[in-house]
Amino acid sequence: MTAGVSDSVSLTEGSDERWFQKAVFYEVLVRGFFDSNNDGTGDLAGITEKLDYLQWLGIDCIWLLPFYQSPLRDGGYDISDFFTVLPEYGDLADALELVEQAHRRGIRVIADMVMNHTSDQHPWFVESRRDRTNPKADWYVWHDDEQRFSEARIIFVDTERSNWSWGPERQQYYWHRFFAHQPDLNYDNPEVQQAMLDVVRFWLDIGLDGFRLDAVPYLFERDGTNGENLPETHEFLKRLRKEVDATHPGRVLLAEANQWPADVVDYFGGGDGGDGVGGGVGDECHMCFHFPLMPRMFMAVRREQRYPITEILSQTPDIPEGCQWGIFLRNHDELTLEMVTDEERDYMYAEYAKDPRMKRNIGIGRRLAPLVDGDRKLAELLHGMLFSLPGSPILYYGDEIGMGDNIYLGDRDGVRTPMQWTPDRNAGFSRADFAQLYLPPLMDPVYGFQAVNVEAQVRNPSSFLQWIQRALQVRKRHNDTFGMGSFEILQAENPSIFAFIRERGDEVLLCVNNLSRFAQPVELHLSRFEGRTPVELVGRVPFPRIGELPYLLTLGGHGFYWFQLTEGPQ
Amino acid sequence: MNRLTPVIDSAALVEPLRDFLPRQRWYSGTETPASVVVEDSRVLDSGWPALVDLIVDADGARYQVPLGLRPPDEWPDFLRGHDAAVMGEVGEDGGRLLAYDAVLDPVLGLTLLDVVSASRESADRVRPVGGEQSNSSLVYDDRLILKLFRRIHRGRNLDVEMTEALSDAGFEHVARPLATLTVDESDLAVLQPFLVGGTDGWALALTSLRDLFGVGDTQPVPVISDDMPPPVVDPGMAGGDFSAEARRLGTITAEMHQASAAAFGAVAGDPQRWAAGVEAQVEAEAHPGFDKAGARGVLDALRRVGDGGPAIRVHGDYHLGQVMRTDAGWYVLDFEGEPDRPPEERRRASSPLRDVAGMLRSFHYASVVAQLERDEDCTGLAQAWEARNRTSFLDGYVASAAKAGLVPEPAATEVVLAAFELEKAVYELGYERAHRPDWQSIPLAALQRLGAR
Repeated sequence: MTAGVSDSVSLTEGSDERWFQKAVFYEVLVRGFFDSNNDGTGDLAGITEKLDYLQWLGIDCIWLLPFYQSPLRDGGYDISDFFTVLPEYGDLADALELVEQAHRRGIRVIADMVMNHTSDQHPWFVESRRDRTNPKADWYVWHDDEQRFSEARIIFVDTERSNWSWGPERQQYYWHRFFAHQPDLNYDNPEVQQAMLDVVRFWLDIGLDGFRLDAVPYLFERDGTNGENLPETHEFLKRLRKEVDATHPGRVLLAEANQWPADVVDYFGGGDGGDGVGGGVGDECHMCFHFPLMPRMFMAVRREQRYPITEILSQTPDIPEGCQWGIFLRNHDELTLEMVTDEERDYMYAEYAKDPRMKRNIGIGRRLAPLVDGDRKLAELLHGMLFSLPGSPILYYGDEIGMGDNIYLGDRDGVRTPMQWTPDRNAGFSRADFAQLYLPPLMDPVYGFQAVNVEAQVRNPSSFLQWIQRALQVRKRHNDTFGMGSFEILQAENPSIFAFIRERGDEVLLCVNNLSRFAQPVELHLSRFEGRTPVELVGRVPFPRIGELPYLLTLGGHGFYWFQLTEGPQ
Repeated sequence: MNRLTPVIDSAALVEPLRDFLPRQRWYSGTETPASVVVEDSRVLDSGWPALVDLIVDADGARYQVPLGLRPPDEWPDFLRGHDAAVMGEVGEDGGRLLAYDAVLDPVLGLTLLDVVSASRESADRVRPVGGEQSNSSLVYDDRLILKLFRRIHRGRNLDVEMTEALSDAGFEHVARPLATLTVDESDLAVLQPFLVGGTDGWALALTSLRDLFGVGDTQPVPVISDDMPPPVVDPGMAGGDFSAEARRLGTITAEMHQASAAAFGAVAGDPQRWAAGVEAQVEAEAHPGFDKAGARGVLDALRRVGDGGPAIRVHGDYHLGQVMRTDAGWYVLDFEGEPDRPPEERRRASSPLRDVAGMLRSFHYASVVAQLERDEDCTGLAQAWEARNRTSFLDGYVASAAKAGLVPEPAATEVVLAAFELEKAVYELGYERAHRPDWQSIPLAALQRLGAR
């Protein structure tokens, strides 16, 4: 793992503005990645130290979870100063250094940005709550009637009973879609809009390549609505996009809108053009997460049939040119079940969350490896699909080595334990005293750091980490097609086979996945590609030429193939 | 180039047809037909290759035979490995021609699409669907499917008639016909949207069962420690659980019956007549393993039912192989009914519970067939699977059907259902004895179970 820093990979301004369409993202918890100053907490300089590892792994963009000044009552999503780095994580110079060093290695950096609300300790709110006449009085959503906007649902049903909380000083209620300590900013106030645009510009000037915009559907509130996806919210996003494009072209906005795909596409801008088939103009966010796909992928392998996936993909509209889905298997939040039907949600609970402690809000807080009972073949299949389906894959730190979770830690901390670098003390994450660590590393016999760590897997050519690294290399060689190619599901009478074609220009890729744990045959109708030779992408092994008869393939349990359909004889 | 005329003397085709017909899967006779009459011969394409569509009467049964014609020195690739589809050389004056089943010819496949759709549809690629019994189908660009009926009855084809009527009545789970080819009031072919991503219910049920048998350990588990909980072997906990699908299938089955009642009307059912019909079949079945006492008990119970629910036009041959799971949910196929019965009988109103019974019998078959694939004994798991999915299907069905007044009160529903399961199992017994003696045990087990209730 020697440093491969050279100018040939470094990023220059204006190079490839569509980079995000073919990129692989890597989500990092700053607190949990690497502790450079041995105070027990990961920091920005720690990530900088581990950039060589990330470059070797083959990811294209780091997504940093919030690192701003915060009382940390919600994992940093409760920001109390947008312009300051949380001191435990370092300072502005560290952020600048991280971005610069990453860019030298061809890696981009985006960061979480919370537009909807601030911490109740943010000076804006401290001032706003004081009385009804101060200069910031109208920066948050205050009202006398706690019954207003009652159509809006309560998101954190486990902890919050109302979206309104009482401000005793000014004798009014303030609005919060999330926790009571996270008051919503009032976007009807032009000063607030301008202030948030200033925040965005500040960090783009530092060099960030974009933002993952947290909780975007909730920016505005209107009487008689559920307060989600309002036209005013889209208007603001268009304004944000316009300003970003004008001053910093090539930066990316990734929206977190946990909605059905048909509604999510609105966040790319322009809706579906009214024709119901997508399209749009793409003048809001460059990327949106595809939330329902993820639980459906788990459903499909449990059921050993493709319908959970193909159903949701057939309900996914086309997106505007120049936009991209963000797809993922796991992230720092729970397995999101808001987007499955009640019946399927019950099923997912029964399968994965037999232990009630695993239930978190309306989801399940588990990492990938324990979610699949440590099944290596299944983890490979799920990643194989993640890397080949339309969208940019997003990895969650630690999943590349098959890290586990600790369900006995509170809230969502179970999947936020320290990255396991070595079998040494504190998993090589920090040289602080064990008691100083922000969370204990995993020490159980199956997923603990003695068994699962980067060092051991880097040294072992057949490790999961090396498998991921090689798969990412293969993907990178074909990322034009994997990232931007068309997507066509192939006919297969065998319900356990999920086969599809990705095509762009002259390149045709055939992906065949066996969702069953048993070996399965499939006959694919490939006569459109008659005369082409399928070449397996990992080993470059040519398969028999495609003729006019159905093409027979057999796959091992949970096996999958990626083929390039090459023209001419091999 | 010497263009040959495709007009052939029909009389010259009689002998080749006598040889050709018994080789076809859709031919319903078992021997070489004694009499063959070419009733009708229409040239659909006089170009090259030529296409002639024949209606042939063989021993009183009428068949559609689309023939492709090419010069005899030209042996096209698509016929390789399909010897049964080659009729041989025909024609006298004007040169001899190679005649073959036109369905295999990709050029003529596109011609058929053009003819049936009256040039409203076109496609780039066509492929024949193999393995069919009574029809021949062609798939175009994975977008359209053309079904050619082989056995031709006077009047409307039941499948087309039923599919159109259900669709008109608002039932969305059928592939609505886009065009039909009708000659002399007989439907010869129908063009429908191809159900993208489809798998039939039988394949899905087997996938579920294989998954269950794969998890379920049939050996007793060793006790490692006192507080180790026993492994759970429950089809509801297995990954491939089918019950949610079974429930949805029950729901759309009820919707199908509702639409059928709206389209063709509903009359009061006659349990006495139903009992008489089943009884005749029971008494005619002389299998030594069939204990008729239990069956008679089932029929006595049916005779005591006052209200057995309505009679409507039903699917008639409803089982897992007739339903297709697609990305857009379940679809119901093939409304031709049991091919051995005459069309007027298949049109006759009957209890919708006959279809339900057919599907329940199919669940039993799936659970046993999946078990036959394996060496070890999975009977317990197979029975648990059948019970679970039976319940789910019935729950889904009754919840919708009761609201529409399609089923009598619950106790009567059970009795009527048992009688039609009995009828189906007796039919299966006769069929298995004739075709698959190894499988006779499946209907026999069902008959025993029904009789013991």
